[in-house]
Amino acid sequence: MDQEFRIEEQVDAVPPVIAVSGEIDVATAPQLRECLHRVIAQGESTIVLDLLEVTFLDSTALGVLVGGLKRCRELGGDLHIVVADPRIVKIFEITGLTNVFTIVDSLQAAGRS
Amino acid sequence: MTDPSDVLVTGDRIELRFPARGDLIVLARLVTSAISARAGFDIEELEDLRLAVGELCLLTLQGSDARYGDLCLELTVLGDAIGVVCTLERAAPSDVVAPEGAEIAQLSEQILDALVDEHGRESQDGFVRAWLRKRRGGNAE
Repeated sequence: MDQEFRIEEQVDAVPPVIAVSGEIDVATAPQLRECLHRVIAQGESTIVLDLLEVTFLDSTALGVLVGGLKRCRELGGDLHIVVADPRIVKIFEITGLTNVFTIVDSLQAAGRS
Repeated sequence: MTDPSDVLVTGDRIELRFPARGDLIVLARLVTSAISARAGFDIEELEDLRLAVGELCLLTLQGSDARYGDLCLELTVLGDAIGVVCTLERAAPSDVVAPEGAEIAQLSEQILDALVDEHGRESQDGFVRAWLRKRRGGNAE
């Protein structure tokens, strides 16, 4: 059975980490959008988005990530994506977004220990 | 060993109809996985088709007020391929612009371009139809 969708915010971390698990699709992506907007509204311009536990991701999710990236960059920051599952990485690759996002395969590589 | 009664063969057709709500597209993906496995697609092809059918549903819904519409998904085994037709019925054009709507539609097109062999979309008077075809053992990328 698919993992339940969940978002966990680690706002005390520097930069803050938003960890997502489960499927991000048209039904769940609005929750991620709302979370990203909230963290950015708190004054954060660089965010680490941990997608290591994400099992599925569609174009709606990618649209939310691109929107989040634009907001971060407008504020002089960035949105770092942490993803290791080859199926998820493939979706970034075929849409050309590996050239747009900073994508790493571990939280350590994203600047977290 | 596969039970022969579980195998789908050329001409077998499965229909799924559900209210055209985004949160129910997961049903289309689930059915696609089951059909693909029974039609002999390997796990990678199955995952590609599952994602592609989700995008097909999103493209079908794009720009429509689907609150009162239905999505009908028709999957047909065509030799070494699966054909999928997704239609939106009884919906009206939407006057609400969804966040990132145009960008998401472009991403959907890119995903379909990469994952399936053929796809297309047409719309007229609240009736929208999108379709795809993916071959088993093919290399759509």
